[in-house]
Amino acid sequence: MRFAIFALALFVTFPMPHSVFADQGLSDFVVRIDGHIAARLNKEGVTPAILIGDTEFIRRVTLDLAGRIPTVAELDDYLQSTSVNRKQQLVQRLIDSPDFVFQQRDQLDILLLQRDEYNDPWREYLLEAARENRPWDKLFRETMLPEEFAAADKRPVAFLKRRTNDLDAMTNDSSVVWFGVNISCAKCHDHPLVDDWKQAHYYGMAAFFKRTFQTRKGFLGERFDGLTKYTDIGGKEHEADLMFLTGQRVDLQPVEAEGEALKKIQEQIKKAEQDDKADDPPRPAFRPRAKLVETALGETEKRYFARNIANRLWARFFGRGLVHPLDQMHSHNPSSHPELLDDLTTELGQSGYDLRRMIQAIVLTDSYARSVRHDATSSMAPEWFAVAMPRALTPRQLSLSLRIAGANPTQLKGAMGEDWATKREQLERQADGVARQLAIPDEDFQVPVTEALWFSNNQSIETDLLSGSGDRIIGFLKEKKDDQQVVQAATRTVLSREPTEEEQQAIADYLASRSDRRESALKQVVWALMSSPEFRFNH
Amino acid sequence: MRIQSLNRRSLLKAAATGVVASNMSALDVLSQPALANELAREGKSVILLWLAGGASQLETWDPKPGRRTGGPYAKIKTKVPGIEISELLPKMANQLDETAIIRSLNTKIADHGQAYTLMDIGRIPEPGVHFPHLGSIIAHELGQIDSQVPDFVYMYTQTEGRRQDSAGYLGARYNPMFLTDKMMPDDLHRLDAISDVDHHDRSALRDFMAKRFIRDLNNPSIGSHENAYSRVQGLMASDYLFDIGREPQAMRDHYGPTQFGQQCLAARRLVEAGVPFVKVARAWWDSHGQNFETHRELCADLDHCMSALLEDLKQRGLLSKTLVITLGEFGRTPQINGSLGRDHFASAWSCTLSGCGIRGGTVYGKTDDDGHTVVDGEMKAGDLFATIFAALGIEHDKEHMLGSRPIPLSDFGSKPCREVLA
Amino acid sequence: MNAKNLKRIDEWTSQDILFCIAQDCVNSRLWVGSSDFKIYEVDLSKEKPTRIEFQGQHQSYVTGMVRVGQMLVTSSYDRHLQWWDIVERKLIRTVRAHEGWIRRVIESADSKQVISIGDDMQCKVWDAESGSAVASFSDHQSLTPHHFPSMLYAVAASADGKWIATGDKVGHVALWDAHRFEKVGELETPVMYTWDAKARMHSIGGIRSLAFSPDSERLAVGGTGKIGNIDHLEGPARLEVFNRASGQRELELEDKNKKGLIEQIVWSPDQQWIVTAGGDNNGFITIYDAKSGELQHQEGQNGHIHGIACDETFANIFAASHERISRWTLA
Repeated sequence: MRFAIFALALFVTFPMPHSVFADQGLSDFVVRIDGHIAARLNKEGVTPAILIGDTEFIRRVTLDLAGRIPTVAELDDYLQSTSVNRKQQLVQRLIDSPDFVFQQRDQLDILLLQRDEYNDPWREYLLEAARENRPWDKLFRETMLPEEFAAADKRPVAFLKRRTNDLDAMTNDSSVVWFGVNISCAKCHDHPLVDDWKQAHYYGMAAFFKRTFQTRKGFLGERFDGLTKYTDIGGKEHEADLMFLTGQRVDLQPVEAEGEALKKIQEQIKKAEQDDKADDPPRPAFRPRAKLVETALGETEKRYFARNIANRLWARFFGRGLVHPLDQMHSHNPSSHPELLDDLTTELGQSGYDLRRMIQAIVLTDSYARSVRHDATSSMAPEWFAVAMPRALTPRQLSLSLRIAGANPTQLKGAMGEDWATKREQLERQADGVARQLAIPDEDFQVPVTEALWFSNNQSIETDLLSGSGDRIIGFLKEKKDDQQVVQAATRTVLSREPTEEEQQAIADYLASRSDRRESALKQVVWALMSSPEFRFNH
Repeated sequence: MRIQSLNRRSLLKAAATGVVASNMSALDVLSQPALANELAREGKSVILLWLAGGASQLETWDPKPGRRTGGPYAKIKTKVPGIEISELLPKMANQLDETAIIRSLNTKIADHGQAYTLMDIGRIPEPGVHFPHLGSIIAHELGQIDSQVPDFVYMYTQTEGRRQDSAGYLGARYNPMFLTDKMMPDDLHRLDAISDVDHHDRSALRDFMAKRFIRDLNNPSIGSHENAYSRVQGLMASDYLFDIGREPQAMRDHYGPTQFGQQCLAARRLVEAGVPFVKVARAWWDSHGQNFETHRELCADLDHCMSALLEDLKQRGLLSKTLVITLGEFGRTPQINGSLGRDHFASAWSCTLSGCGIRGGTVYGKTDDDGHTVVDGEMKAGDLFATIFAALGIEHDKEHMLGSRPIPLSDFGSKPCREVLA
Repeated sequence: MNAKNLKRIDEWTSQDILFCIAQDCVNSRLWVGSSDFKIYEVDLSKEKPTRIEFQGQHQSYVTGMVRVGQMLVTSSYDRHLQWWDIVERKLIRTVRAHEGWIRRVIESADSKQVISIGDDMQCKVWDAESGSAVASFSDHQSLTPHHFPSMLYAVAASADGKWIATGDKVGHVALWDAHRFEKVGELETPVMYTWDAKARMHSIGGIRSLAFSPDSERLAVGGTGKIGNIDHLEGPARLEVFNRASGQRELELEDKNKKGLIEQIVWSPDQQWIVTAGGDNNGFITIYDAKSGELQHQEGQNGHIHGIACDETFANIFAASHERISRWTLA
């Protein structure tokens, strides 16, 4: 097996066709992705890192698709499989599993709300969307125009709701999240370094949101009137056009009411903003925010919309975007692989913004399966994607993985039967407390010392995670008499791999010197494995 | 976001001498401890006394007795000829020679939340950029990356107006150690269930496992994970710093019995041990009703604790390298409302800087006779930050690169107030 | 007279805050003490009453005022008592009286003495004529239980000349023999003091007014009830009435309608009513039935009321208020 991988690595510039795919289109797509990456490597004259083995692959892909480390049973199943399609089968199983839905929900939550708030109804909405693999453009419509596309449903309002009081937040966060463009710097003056972003773009975007308000009932609406004005650095005042980030303009329509009629509508709106018993105010026929959605998804601009999510999906699995940073998609910051980004964008559009399919393709590429290590003497530029980047686990990945690693593996195997969906939901809830305490990794994420202190000294680690009861890993290890077995079982359970000889020796020695306090020693060993960077990162 | 620290002056210097300047990212320091800031070795620190809710400038540093807005309190002479402050601060009056009063802050925002943010980060916040708190910037500039003591400790015991400060784009490494209802940080003590020896050996076993894994990996995030665990034992050993019970009774008496006093004492213990930034919040000054009664109470606390702190720092030789900032989110209205209260006011208010890098015994800026407007030396939040950085020997216009965007330490266009600098 | 008749009939606005007031029923004159540190006479006989400034001034807010014969005695945050000639409208004497802000000055039953209290927590008795000190005594802690400065806000003398009562910030009342100046009793009204240990870590409230009933048998204590958000005077106006001899609390009244501090209490001469005045951001006068405690009537006004003076017939009440003087009638 090891040899086979090595051989593959040598032929990386001529990607091997993947053997059997149920979906030929998907299979071709996977090959094309690798082709684009290989082309750049070729150009740079770089030999990429080797492909990882099965043991490393199942951990990486399970974390990415199921949001947790694999169980020992999953590990065994995969390693024992003799199927030539076992990788495809594994990915398919994970994508079809209840785990994937939770993981996808969590990733969407981080992307859209950045967990600035923890909003249960919103998370429920995202779960529902993830479950039915709701297309990205539909999600966009529903969250940006909840009053039209999810009229009776308050849940998707959350995205704009927490920003309705702050026009700048609505303008910039929407630009960042949906279009990969951070234009905050163009608020006070044209962007000093990026020609694409003028003040007119900032206020052009702001104009789409200017009329948005929130009713006391918790729904969104748009006013009949309201113009966006701004002053340039010369002190000259301008009235902003409705202008999309690409420069595409939307004609402003005349206000649909005037005089007393307008005044009455304004009062109705004011009432609805303040009183949860007020009637819903009337809606104008011309609604700038609806125009934004229409423009962004329109024939000429939709690639702009699709490019962002293609780039963000790529970054989720590779630790950096093809355009990097993710909110700097502009002409001065080109993609490292323009053809690849084009291909991903096209494919996403043609598939009807099918995120699941895109994810499936990405994790099946060789590019995804590179090792985090390489033996090149010179450093590898990260934008070559020649070597994988270790990625810190999200709070929920870490919390869930601690629960999986902390459980008795035999019992866990039993749990992963028919009713796994129910059990998985319980697990999700159990992971809540710890997940909420941890920081969400961003670029250049740093682990705060409070995390290390918490893991070192918090009572809950001792009494919950490392409890000696039978349903926990310590309870399981306690039953084993042989230290070799203990070391092996602990390493497999926590780190999803076999121990090295050196580790076997060191840990066995550690246990032997604590034979008078064996349970305590077992806890210390498991703690040492769980607190290692190998556990904390996806690699 | 990728952070790069660029320093225009040092780049110029490097260019002039032919030294190749590297764009050292904040995180590169992790792998190059030898390059850790020179400033750290000088042992400079900051204590921020945060007067949450907004103290009245008229009842503290900028009294206007006899004016319609002046309130009932008199002004008193200080140790420095020509400088007078409110009679509510008699102890500070006696040792004003180490303190510069700034009477000309005009920060405009008079809403608690937004003003708090403004004085936290020294600029108007923007969506999409997470600006770091002053303390995080200072910790980043003055702290040692592998420091065995915390580098930003933040105490805020009262619940009103309390909020967590964030290191923003500098990263979680520089988040404060946040103390709320307890004086001792969480998770700083070993559990009884594990012996000291096992606690250490367990760490050694962890390090053994980690070492094998991180070999050949040059990843800053993983570096930060190692860094966090490498600081655990040191931080646990620093628990005594938070324990003011270890101070002689005379010293505890010196700071007095109030919680603010105890926290000021803890702050001194922390900076003495090399903690670069300690923020002690004293809430809540929001005297919409009974402004004069409230200030009689709270100024007594401030006067005693601040003067005790300055005196203690001075006696220990620490004041020359410790900058004490007394600041809130804004001041209070000159006009007195029907409840004998003063409301939120950010157009002409005061703060003080004492100690390190400060020309003591100075007053900077001037408000009009009734205190409605600044008539001389107007300062914005960014200017105050620039002044703070300058007092510590940090270049205020040093830039971080966020994506394609340069962000200077203190806001664009801000400049230090040389008049209050030593 | 009917409490229900209470109504405000005049209001003279100004730019200063008026803290204290005395009146001259014979000549329709008022005197007020101001936040501009000065004393004014107000002639009500004029169609548009004007203020006439006295010669001389305090060095801070004028917080207390009492008329003794042809003199006014005033107190101030400047720590001084001042004696004024009413006719000449000028300062006669200035006495440094307290080592802390003086909160109030009143007269003894026979008008031969004046009694002041201040934040040095002392109650001091002075010869009204000569201004010489007669006695100084205290039963009030200078620090609150939470180590912050306390304040001595209220003092009253009984009509029978036998008793003095003093009340402080934390709700402690001391009763004194008015001749020997020895403490003869004490009362506690802890609800008047709100200490917020958790959210804001400071306090608000305190006993702001004391008044003996005309028969000297009862003592009314005024202030404010517990306050949730101590940034504002949002607590109920609170009145407690005690039996002087037994120390028993006979009435405990809280008014959530007109909130804030009770700054002054006046008993009707027939002992039927208790008139309270004070406020939060605005002012109120509230009249209670002195026996049942039932609220008889109340009216509000713009501007917190700091002090009131009633004429001898009890038909008119004058209120020194935030940026105004108001005149009320019960007739």
